[in-house]
Amino acid sequence: MTRRRAPTTRRAALLALPAVVPIVLVVGVSLTAAALQSFGLMPFIGPPQFSADAWTRDADELVRSTLTSTYVAMVSTLLSLVVGFVLATYVLAIPRMGRIVEALSAATIPIPHVIGAGAIGLLLSDSGFLERLLGMPEAFPALVSGPWFVAVIAEYAWKESAFVALVVLGSISRSVGDLCDAAATLGASAGQRIVRVVLPLSAPSLAVSAAIVFVYTLGSYEAAWLLGPTSPEPLPVRAVRLFTSVDLAARQQAMATALVSVAVSAAVIIIAILVLRRHRSLS
Amino acid sequence: MRVILGCLLVVWIVAPMVPVLLWSVAGQWRAPAVLPSSYSLQGFTALATPDTARAAASSLSLGLGVAVIATPLGYLGALAVRALPPMPSRFVEFVLLAPLAIPPFALVMGINVALLRLYVSPPLGVTLVLVVTALPYTAFMFRSALAGYDHRFEEVARSLGASPGQAARHVRYHLLAGAAARAFFLAFLVGWGDYITTLLIGGGQLRTLPLLLGSAASATGNEQLTAALSVAIILPPLILLAGLTLPAARRKRQ
Repeated sequence: MTRRRAPTTRRAALLALPAVVPIVLVVGVSLTAAALQSFGLMPFIGPPQFSADAWTRDADELVRSTLTSTYVAMVSTLLSLVVGFVLATYVLAIPRMGRIVEALSAATIPIPHVIGAGAIGLLLSDSGFLERLLGMPEAFPALVSGPWFVAVIAEYAWKESAFVALVVLGSISRSVGDLCDAAATLGASAGQRIVRVVLPLSAPSLAVSAAIVFVYTLGSYEAAWLLGPTSPEPLPVRAVRLFTSVDLAARQQAMATALVSVAVSAAVIIIAILVLRRHRSLS
Repeated sequence: MRVILGCLLVVWIVAPMVPVLLWSVAGQWRAPAVLPSSYSLQGFTALATPDTARAAASSLSLGLGVAVIATPLGYLGALAVRALPPMPSRFVEFVLLAPLAIPPFALVMGINVALLRLYVSPPLGVTLVLVVTALPYTAFMFRSALAGYDHRFEEVARSLGASPGQAARHVRYHLLAGAAARAFFLAFLVGWGDYITTLLIGGGQLRTLPLLLGSAASATGNEQLTAALSVAIILPPLILLAGLTLPAARRKRQ
């Protein structure tokens, strides 16, 4: 048995190489180069010289960007989870109308974020479609480029709630019917079935999609750039501005900003894995 | 109550696309008017330029290039995860999912210096980075398909006298075709709709449809062009999606 396993293991390892090598290469080179550049060890021109300047100069601005991005990602994730869960529950509970909602929601998934951002811009901007529908009220708030990133969050919540619904439906649609029927015969009301059956069943897929949505919205550039205010800057907007600046010294700061966003993403994913583990050991 | 909730959900999903569709066929649409005062295909005729055609060709080849490379690689990765012993299998799985954890702009900024020093041409560099971005999706699609895959079908075919190649062609190919189509579609979308990777690595040399859209949407007074471009970018994948899902849905109903 062991003699047979060795060649198959080697074959399987060979199978993995074409996928693993490009990822390890791109991710490894990218993170290493970013770290070296942020410390001045891989300058665009001139000799390498160690300096932590990119990390210490404008440190409070970097912290502000991190907090801004975290705020936007957190609110967007929360909204996507709530709306996504409602979408999924509706699709499961109402057969005919649910199928229409499911198809429409799935149709938004292939729409790129840059288009979502353009669309939300046309909808929510000053004298945009929504303001016209409401009869151009005087007190219409600045949703696009406003201080609370409302349009940015709306774009993420719109796109990502469809994603959350898709993930939840994919993971529970097979098992949920029988369990809900059983709960119903035991006298559970519709509300009780949602809270006691559907919600616990979807908890793992909600946690996984929460981590994915958070990391995605934290690192996404298009909506934050098109729909956000110029200040405070979220991490991706700050990084791209510094990266494309004519001042080559700004590149170091761009790399530091990029690495901060990698670190925040990694932290969130580790938290999600820990939460999932605990959930699994409890059940 | 149910009807109201259903309508609210439909409004939530459809609302952002309504102004896009209206603007794409609007002739004149001044501020307080809820609907355009005249309609025209101006926005779409403005797209009929060599510049837009070139951008469409770039987007198409980028999407196809990423899909053609990332789909088989994802399949191989998923096969390896299934065949390897637990420890290395978990490592491969971790590597396959790792690109999801890294913001795309960060990935691009780090790798850019290396690509420049190695004189990698922008289209090639963009394709390489987007393949890495797409691999988690394609590998995941094949992973979930292989999890429900019953090897006994192939064994039956073999015991009926099929060669390994025939068993793969006539059995495995058909059983995994759905997952392959989904993986291909997702990878195509990664290339077709990408903005930031093309912007940063392409450095203006590689102009795709999303880049045209980005510059149209960031300027004011371009609503018609933005909307027409949006429709032009959304329609091809939607048609592809309908082509992929409708036959399967019909088969299920029969």
